[in-house]
Amino acid sequence: MAISSATKAATDALSVNRAPVSVGAQEVHKWMQSFTWDFDKNRTKYSTKYKMANDTKEQFKLIAKEYARMESVKDERQFGSLQDVLTRVDAANRVHPKWNESMKVISNFLEVGEYNAIAATGMLWDSASAPEQKNGYLGQVMDEIRHTNQCGYINYYFAKQGQDAAGHNDARRTRAIGPLWKGMKRVFSDGFISGDAVECSINLQLVGEACFTNPLIVAVTEWASANGDEMTPTVFLSIETDELRHMANGYQTIVSIANDEAASKYLNTDLNNAFWTQQKYFTPVLGMMFEYGSHFKVEPWVKTWNRWVYEDWGGIWIGRLGKYGVESPASLRDAKKDAYWAHHDLFLLAYALWPTGFFRVTLPTAEEAEWYEANYPGWYDMYGKVYEEWRSRGCEDPNSGFLPLQWFAENNHPIYIDRVSQVPFCPSYCKGASTLRVLEFNGKKHSFSDPWGERMWLSEPERYECQNIFEQYEGRELSEVIAEGHGVRSDGFTLISQPHTNKDGKLWTLDDIKKIGCVFADPLKAL
Amino acid sequence: MSIEVAGGRRGLTDPILAAQILAAIPDKPLETQRKMNYFMTPRGRRINEYEVLCCYTQPTPDWIPGGLDWGDWTQKFHGGRPSWSNESTEMHSSDWLKHRDPAFRWHALYVKDKAEEWRYTDRFLKAYSADGHVRSIDPVWRDEVLGDYLGAFGFSEYGLFNSHSSVVRDCLGDTIRMSSAMIALDKVDNAQMIQAERTFLAKLVPGFPESTDIPKKEWTKGAIFKSARETVEKIWQETYDWNEILFSGHMIYDPLFGQFVRREFFLRLASYYGDNLTPFFVNQMQLYHSQTKGITTDMFHTCLSADPEFGEYNDRLMRAWSDKWLPQTVNALKDFMGIFAKIPEIKGVTSKDAIQAALERVFDDWQRDYAEPIGYKVDTAALIKTVLTGLK
Ligand SMILES: [Fe+2]
Ligand SMILES: [Fe+2]
Repeated sequence: MAISSATKAATDALSVNRAPVSVGAQEVHKWMQSFTWDFDKNRTKYSTKYKMANDTKEQFKLIAKEYARMESVKDERQFGSLQDVLTRVDAANRVHPKWNESMKVISNFLEVGEYNAIAATGMLWDSASAPEQKNGYLGQVMDEIRHTNQCGYINYYFAKQGQDAAGHNDARRTRAIGPLWKGMKRVFSDGFISGDAVECSINLQLVGEACFTNPLIVAVTEWASANGDEMTPTVFLSIETDELRHMANGYQTIVSIANDEAASKYLNTDLNNAFWTQQKYFTPVLGMMFEYGSHFKVEPWVKTWNRWVYEDWGGIWIGRLGKYGVESPASLRDAKKDAYWAHHDLFLLAYALWPTGFFRVTLPTAEEAEWYEANYPGWYDMYGKVYEEWRSRGCEDPNSGFLPLQWFAENNHPIYIDRVSQVPFCPSYCKGASTLRVLEFNGKKHSFSDPWGERMWLSEPERYECQNIFEQYEGRELSEVIAEGHGVRSDGFTLISQPHTNKDGKLWTLDDIKKIGCVFADPLKAL
Repeated sequence: MSIEVAGGRRGLTDPILAAQILAAIPDKPLETQRKMNYFMTPRGRRINEYEVLCCYTQPTPDWIPGGLDWGDWTQKFHGGRPSWSNESTEMHSSDWLKHRDPAFRWHALYVKDKAEEWRYTDRFLKAYSADGHVRSIDPVWRDEVLGDYLGAFGFSEYGLFNSHSSVVRDCLGDTIRMSSAMIALDKVDNAQMIQAERTFLAKLVPGFPESTDIPKKEWTKGAIFKSARETVEKIWQETYDWNEILFSGHMIYDPLFGQFVRREFFLRLASYYGDNLTPFFVNQMQLYHSQTKGITTDMFHTCLSADPEFGEYNDRLMRAWSDKWLPQTVNALKDFMGIFAKIPEIKGVTSKDAIQAALERVFDDWQRDYAEPIGYKVDTAALIKTVLTGLK
């Protein structure tokens, strides 16, 4: 440009127009796609069998500063509510005790998912080649930090102001003792970050976020609110406002690989594996947390599941991706069966293993038993009876010397852990589809509860080598394991976990457990 | 009543539900320890909110130092590579979770600051344009330096931004993961602010090209940024060790090259050429630089250099990394000297004596704040001499 004429033009322009001018986020964003450049080694550090297109666009068009503005407005509202009115009405102390316990698990486990999603989207930011797509993932990286902090805030708030701080105050340390933790890590931690980058995106975004985020984050707010908890809706609904962008990232990822030949070969298999991986844990665990971890019920889990997982996700969401060759996963039908009984099967085991938790669990009351039977006919004969027997043997009372685990041993119902999902199962006492399969590899036995997981293991056993709690604790006495894992309250001897939430009930101590002399055994060794 | 409650009835406000809930609540709290993460060692005297919300969110087993979990990963990469592992870096630590952002910023505090900066930027630009300030900018400075070379420098910031993606994936600690994402966002913010300034100028100066074409050509083909570009490419894509990425970018390249370009070139010279716009943006970048410096010096000095078990080893490794990255950075500065031939000379400001003094400030700062803490011996005078050979 000729310098002098440009300067003159600027001066002329200003003489006719002195209106204040600024620059909007989208005016900057529109140049984003040109921020990168080609060079020899410009490629991702994480291998994927798919190729993401270089011109993938991103629909939210955020820049760093606009992102910050938007999130900080939401933060003001959310933290304002928590710190102001909810604190003044003593809201944390007006939550049903059963739900207070559920939030120890829900918020902390969700935090793990959020935290690992930071790393997962870091990997996807690295894998994507289009700057807009990278930018979309960067936004998600930041969001997942936000969500990690928000989930932590729930436990922090309940610890500071609620009726039972134990477990809220140290979940990050004590969560690793019990039987739900490793399975949680499979879906929320390793499943998001370890594997083909696109496979991880499918786990995180296409299934984790698009499928299970609705029941997890939205349905949980309804259950929370019914049970007196207004903190969780305040925070979780604020989290949810970011999720739309994340689902869009997942959608764009599929679009970015749609024309790649690899997609036609592998995409549906990866999706099916990811769906099974996620549902294998979430279906039973969410159902269990809602139904068994609440006093007031919103609706039977099977209904929620059918609506959000089967119809909305399996039908509508996957349907939208149909034009890219995506099919509804083959395992969806088996999952639908799980949505009926799997959470009941799991609670039986979770209750039996209560001393290893970091939360108090409660046997179903008579009115709950009625509700279960009405919604899940056949419930009483399978589970209700057993809970009655446990209760009559004093399972809630520390002086009884009875742990429900003993019942499984007495009746010869060994509990196994599925190697791939790490979810415990009892093949001889369940109504769900769990069947025991045992395979030997490199001198080690592995148990499986379903053919989908078994197939994943058969094709890549080196990805699923993690020992389970029975192998880890084999030969060790239960109270010793709890003490080592810091499962005690600040007095140094009362357990964090308890088999009841009865306000007048006695609390179990390490000594009460020790007296029973329960020693871990690896059921696979007995085979 | 039934325990199934429909229609969005709320346990907090519905009197019937609330009565049942209150009846079930224990008369006094069951636990007296109300501090979340009470078991941890705080950086200061007490555990602060940042530490409560960030520390120990990393779910690593205890064989990765600092972790509280046990056992193996539940799913690994194809072929069996672990989710996170000690082999991801040559550095050693007795606690990968020890790092703290000295400003203790968790997400809400971080975005609050940036949101304020954005609102203020918007107000500033409006006032600046209404004031007709743009008329005072020297045309060569405006069209060539801001149009081309500031634009080209945006690519350096953008490349450094991207170098953090694998750090955010691979690093072994929660606080360092969050810090890395924040300093990355600041870097892409810098690149975006540079483009915002150019777009803004294009609105005020008819004919000023806002396109990234010329700056990109300058960055990829030109001589002035050649070594800088090569260094950034190596940090971004050739380096796999996440600590080395952070170290090369934030302990060598940016405190030398980045500081010279931002502080000693654009910030110092702008007002001499009638440009009060660029300092507005570069000052924000300098704020981010100082916050980043707090983060990375905490990581590399306070944590890794002072590690009770591995401190000496880490210092040796950082000195080796300095040997590797310093010459490339010096070359980047040497190439950048070519820019002085493109601007109208102002005696005592852009002449050799002034350039040398500027280089001395940058190298002295670096020596004091980055080299000495790891025992790295360096003859800065010789380095400056090498850089100055780039003057045309
Ligand atoms: Fe999230
Ligand atoms: Fe998300």
